[in-house]
Amino acid sequence: MALAAYRHVLRSTQVAFQGDLRTLSAARVEARSKFDQNRFLSPSSTEAEQKVLEAKEVARILRQNVVQGEQVTGSKLQEQRYQLRIHEEIERGNNDSIKKGSSLAAAATGFCGGAR
Amino acid sequence: MIRTALIQSVRCASRSVTRTQLPASRAIAPCFSVTSTRSTPAPRYPGIRYYSAPAGLSKPEVEGRIMDLLKNFDKVKDASKLSNTSHFSNDLGLDSLDTVEVVMAIEEEFSIEIPDKEADSLLSIDKAVNYILGQPDAH
Repeated sequence: MALAAYRHVLRSTQVAFQGDLRTLSAARVEARSKFDQNRFLSPSSTEAEQKVLEAKEVARILRQNVVQGEQVTGSKLQEQRYQLRIHEEIERGNNDSIKKGSSLAAAATGFCGGAR
Repeated sequence: MIRTALIQSVRCASRSVTRTQLPASRAIAPCFSVTSTRSTPAPRYPGIRYYSAPAGLSKPEVEGRIMDLLKNFDKVKDASKLSNTSHFSNDLGLDSLDTVEVVMAIEEEFSIEIPDKEADSLLSIDKAVNYILGQPDAH
């Protein structure tokens, strides 16, 4: 149970931080330390169950809500430009609130591309 | 009736053959012209096809790669206990989380994804080797 969750988290870090070794290894060390922290919990306890659920949520967020951006070099707007890697699992919002567009406030609450 | 059907099927067959051959001859030609006119050195991978058959992995090779991987795994304290049949937890002193990490590393090494059920049963080097040998996608 917990092992499967750990595996899912590790897989998700691979998806979220592809090609970014520094962040990838940091994320994995962090995941490991969190799992080590709760090592003493008995597998049947509700607390352990909660932690496993939490780990699954973390894995989901890493997969769907983390977008990598790489600074584009060689362009005039060097400082402001980032190339985003939106892979297929990233959550896409449908931006319904923007289509309504009656007031500025409504537009401001809409989020862009699901990357909150 | 039969004759027309025959002719049609032959036509279809010849058409599909010429179609599948076309991209191969086309693929190599444009990449020379394109690279010369290109101003930015962005990497471009033209549709080159490799016709070599996938060579299967040999058992010694798989074993060697898994052993190397474990040698570099810092939680293996006693590298002298590494053998073809080492059990991850009993012989190498790895805990269950370490085992998950090892199996993940094996997945990445051979670029495959091992389903949870099988991954949980890979607890020793020989089991992992046999599993990899049974995977046609592993390379």
